[in-house]
Amino acid sequence: MAQRQRIFFVDRLAALRNNEMSLREKIWQINWSLIVLATLISGIGIAMLYSAANGNIDPWASRQLMRFGAGILILLMVAVIDIRIWFRYAYAIYFVALALLVAVEFLGVSGMGAQRWIDLKVIQLQPSEVMKVALVLALARCFHGMALEDISRPTSLVLPIAITLAPAALVLKQPDLGTAMMLLMVAAAVFFCAGVRLWKFAVVGIAALGSIPIAWQFLREYQKQRVLTFLNPENDPLGAGYHTLQSKIALGSGGLFGKGFMQGSQSHLNFLPEKQTDFIFTMLAEEFGMIGGLILLVLYAILLTYGIAIALRARNQFGSVLAMGLTCNVFFYVFINIAMVMGLVPVVGVPLPLVSYGGTAMLTLMATIGLLISVYIHRDVRISRRGLGIEV
Amino acid sequence: MNRRVVPPSRPNCYPVIDTLPPRKFAGHGARVQLDGSAARALETGRTRLLAAGLVFALAFTVIGGRLIDLTLLSQNSEPKIAGGPTAPQRETGRADIVDRNGVLLATTLPTASLWANPHKVLDPYDAAVQLNTALPELSHAEILAKLTSEKGFVWLKRGLTPRQQYAINRLGVPGLQFRQEPRRYYPHASLTAHSVGFTDVDDNGLAGIEQSFDSKLRGAVKPLALSIDLRIQHVLSQALTDTMAEFKAIGAAGIVMDVRTGEIVAMTSLPDFDPNRPGDAPADARFNRASLGVYEMGSVFKIFTTAMALDGGIVTLDDRYDTSKPIRIGRFTISDFKPKNGPLSVPEILMYSSNIGTARIAMDVGALMQREFLERLGLMLPSTVELSEVGHPMMPSPWREINMLTISYGHGMAVSPIRLVSAVSAIVNGGILRPATLLRQPANTEIPGTRVISEQTSHQMRQLMRLVVTHGTGKKANADGYMVGGKTGTADKLIGGKYARDARVASFVGAFPMTEPRYAIFVMVDEPKGNASTYNYATGGWVAAPAVRRVVEQIGPLLGVAPIRTNPEDEESELLYVRASAKAEKVAAN
Repeated sequence: MAQRQRIFFVDRLAALRNNEMSLREKIWQINWSLIVLATLISGIGIAMLYSAANGNIDPWASRQLMRFGAGILILLMVAVIDIRIWFRYAYAIYFVALALLVAVEFLGVSGMGAQRWIDLKVIQLQPSEVMKVALVLALARCFHGMALEDISRPTSLVLPIAITLAPAALVLKQPDLGTAMMLLMVAAAVFFCAGVRLWKFAVVGIAALGSIPIAWQFLREYQKQRVLTFLNPENDPLGAGYHTLQSKIALGSGGLFGKGFMQGSQSHLNFLPEKQTDFIFTMLAEEFGMIGGLILLVLYAILLTYGIAIALRARNQFGSVLAMGLTCNVFFYVFINIAMVMGLVPVVGVPLPLVSYGGTAMLTLMATIGLLISVYIHRDVRISRRGLGIEV
Repeated sequence: MNRRVVPPSRPNCYPVIDTLPPRKFAGHGARVQLDGSAARALETGRTRLLAAGLVFALAFTVIGGRLIDLTLLSQNSEPKIAGGPTAPQRETGRADIVDRNGVLLATTLPTASLWANPHKVLDPYDAAVQLNTALPELSHAEILAKLTSEKGFVWLKRGLTPRQQYAINRLGVPGLQFRQEPRRYYPHASLTAHSVGFTDVDDNGLAGIEQSFDSKLRGAVKPLALSIDLRIQHVLSQALTDTMAEFKAIGAAGIVMDVRTGEIVAMTSLPDFDPNRPGDAPADARFNRASLGVYEMGSVFKIFTTAMALDGGIVTLDDRYDTSKPIRIGRFTISDFKPKNGPLSVPEILMYSSNIGTARIAMDVGALMQREFLERLGLMLPSTVELSEVGHPMMPSPWREINMLTISYGHGMAVSPIRLVSAVSAIVNGGILRPATLLRQPANTEIPGTRVISEQTSHQMRQLMRLVVTHGTGKKANADGYMVGGKTGTADKLIGGKYARDARVASFVGAFPMTEPRYAIFVMVDEPKGNASTYNYATGGWVAAPAVRRVVEQIGPLLGVAPIRTNPEDEESELLYVRASAKAEKVAAN
């Protein structure tokens, strides 16, 4: 109780003093329960990676653990950096990410039939993951300071749309349909939360539906195959439908409590593909059953609730939109991945946040949580259109 | 704006944006407009945030529900047992026929048959040319004749192979149609042709078991199990084929029968035919020599003469008959093939196959008792085996004295091999005659039969038959360890009412092991020609007995008959031989 009162007091104090918080005050303000939540989820992931390697710390669990450690440091750094700094450099970060996406075209390392990575020696960077955060930052800056009247002017939407389409097109060219769709969905979520009129979504939606036949022709064969497989996975159980069917079998074999840690026969006998990355949730559900799966879902739900709460409490529009955009991003990660392994959406390469093996995703998600905390810490800061704190 | 503490519960006090374009709100207090606009923006923002949260909740409910569905409710579990490819149940309408071990002998396959409606064939000539490429076995003229007929339905080819059907389909000739028809198929082709028989294209049984069990096979689902053992059948068939080739014979027949049950374990008639194409076979090949043919069996009948004399107490094993002079009755003369001087004991008469001695025994037995005994053995009636191809025995009427004498050594009366084997089985099995059967009998059940001779006589006959193989005419049938006993026979064939001197039927009938017989075996070779290896002999002892030895050596292990290794001098029949010979020496000394 005393703690909460103290936070309340500090809170009020911060509001009084507005933007001039000391580092110590910021650290007091850090939403530690959010960090505990991230640690729990990451811990589940590392345990599953340990199991996926048949009880070996190598090759996945150890590296994931190191990334998590690095991620925590990045999270804390991001969290205490003043939100106005993020506001000021939002476009810069976006352009860096965009440049990386362009660079991937020329310098990228191919993997699994697509050119998605840049080899930075220390880490294989996946710019499309970075872009998911950078896009939200840029859009949030875009919408900051726009009144509803501005937003309702179609011309004012030109810039945010351009900001969205540029990276989406680049990612689509890699080709990575899943990530491109996610960028578009995150952008749409930001547009929605910023208050773009619903009929505009309807228009875009209808236009998108109308363009499906045209877009179909531009899809790669494997992308077409995935969509067709999604529509009927049983028609090619050994080929394109294999992933989904095996995943469903593994999930079904888990039952209520699962087969036990490191006992998942479907995963360990390699019936389950990509068990350390995209299909890690299946492995979790096979080994810990429905209970294990639901526990992870609840953890994600708490994380998302925190995100929404932070968005609601932010008094600057940049923070609010940013928090909501980032939360939506996490939501799409979770939802698409889990829906995919359960055969509800087509197989797309979307990792399960903080759980799937993958460096860039881990670091960007930790940065995402860092940004959320930063929004929380700086919830009462006012931001001018140029990004500097303004005395009210 | 003044610096102030804004309570979070008041949304209109969330001034997020410090400046707004004032031009839009000219004429009004900028501050008021700003507050109102910002408030509306914030209100919309909050609503939309909450809407997004609702969507999140909904989505999580969906995936949570799906997780419960997949893990608990759905049957999407991993297969517990690897499901092997299961053959679909066929509705073919005719039960399979299998051998005693379940090996498939006859089955029904669904096939396509080709028919045409000639009225719908646009260009019969061209259609015939094209069809000829797919079905080269049909001539162009034949197809053309069918395709130009006035009928509305003509069969072109029935029971097509899938490859043929595919080829015809590819031609795309209009007016041709397929009809799905079941087709009987015999995987072992000619091997069991005579016992299993065959059907016509409309699945009507025309011969063998297919005919006699036609109606039962139609309705049944469970396969019909025959008493035939395909392995034994193969051995017998192979030995007969080799023998036929070796002696340039025109035919051969063989039977292996379980003496305890009457089950026919193997039955062969050569030449045989492929029941898959019965129409291609000549009539001679379709003729079942083993059951339908009746033959004068020759010396093998001496078994019955000896048995009836012993069983009736007419003679004992120590009795002797003078065989030095041929018997003359009217215009007939009965002489021996290899005359032996001096009186022969009853065992010796059988051993050396003396016609004179046997005829003299028959004289003591008498025609009435002979006829009654042969009738009791079932030799006067066609076999009751489950085949329609059973031969009626031929016998003299009236039964004169001369008939009595010739029948005693197997001439003047013709019986089917299957009847002969049944009778011999009864002689060696302890005296019980059981009907021959082609159906598998349930294991370990006593098959009812009728007593025809005493156990004592049966025991003596076994010794005598063993003696024939150890010291008599049947030495070449002696399969080491299997204690074969039997009797050779060589009968001149009656051709055009006269006995032909160079056309004969060489046979051997016996059983093994003689200590406790399990199987009776009969081999008959029709018109064998002697060759250098047999010193031009074509008798039962030279032709049929070696075939019996080969068969017994191979089937003994298959049938689970343990070989018996005894000192020949310990054998009962050996003692009998010593006794018979000693008496002869004594008589000779007198």
